Amino acid sequence: MSFGGGPRGAGGRAAAKTGAGARGGKDQGKRYFFRRRKVCKFCADRIDYVDYKDVKLLSSFVPERGKILPRRMFGTCAEHQRKLTVAIKRARNIALLPFAAD
Amino acid sequence: MSDRVYEILFIADPNLGEPEVDALTAQVQGYAEKEGARIQRVEKWGKKRLAYLIGRHREGSYVLLVVEGGGPLMKEVERRIRVTDGVIKFMTVRVDEELRKAERRKERRTAEETRKKSRMAARSTGPEGEGVTQ
Repeated sequence: MSFGGGPRGAGGRAAAKTGAGARGGKDQGKRYFFRRRKVCKFCADRIDYVDYKDVKLLSSFVPERGKILPRRMFGTCAEHQRKLTVAIKRARNIALLPFAAD
Repeated sequence: MSDRVYEILFIADPNLGEPEVDALTAQVQGYAEKEGARIQRVEKWGKKRLAYLIGRHREGSYVLLVVEGGGPLMKEVERRIRVTDGVIKFMTVRVDEELRKAERRKERRTAEETRKKSRMAARSTGPEGEGVTQ
C-alpha cells in the first residue's frame, strides 16, 4: 500500500518546481509557454475525506455549466479526482449541485 | 461486525413551517430508532436553493441525520421515507468505511511527519555529536 506516498511525493516535486520557477520567473507573463505547476488542493489542504455536503469546496471544482472537468484543469491528483467525482455526483443527486445549468 | 454509519439527507417541502419540519425530522428519526438504530447527529440546514427543480420546487429545507445501525436497517427506513408526505427528495449514504479510511490516512501521515521531523532534528544535531552514517 504505497498510495499515500504517491500524491505526497508528487506534491513535493511540484513544490520544488514552482520554487525553481519563482527563481527564474522575472519574465512571468511574457513567456506564455510557462505554466505554473498546479498542486492538488486536497493534498495541499490535507483533505482525506471529500465530503459531498461541502458545497463551497465542491463548487470551486465545478464550473457554472455544472460539468465535472478533467483533472488537468485543476491539477488534482488521481486519487483525489476520483473522490471528488463521487462527491460531486452525490451532491448532484440531492440537488446541492446542478446536473446541467439551465 | 460493527455497525454501519449512514447519512440520511432529506429535503422537506419548503412550504412547511419550522415546527412542521421539526416534526418531520422527529418522524424520520423515529423510523430509524424503531429499526434499532442509534442517532449520532441531527443537523438542520434550513432553507436552501435547489440546484435544479424538484417537482415544482425551487428551494427546500435540508435536514441531515447521521445514523448508526445494522445492515437491513436502511431498507426499511428508505421505504418509509419514500411514503412520507413532505419529503420531496432524500438520499442515504453509507459513510463509515470512507471515514475510517480517511482516519487511517490521517494517522499514517501524522506518524510519518513526526518521524520526518525527528530525523531532521537528529540530522541538525548530528555533526556535533558522534559521526552520522548517512
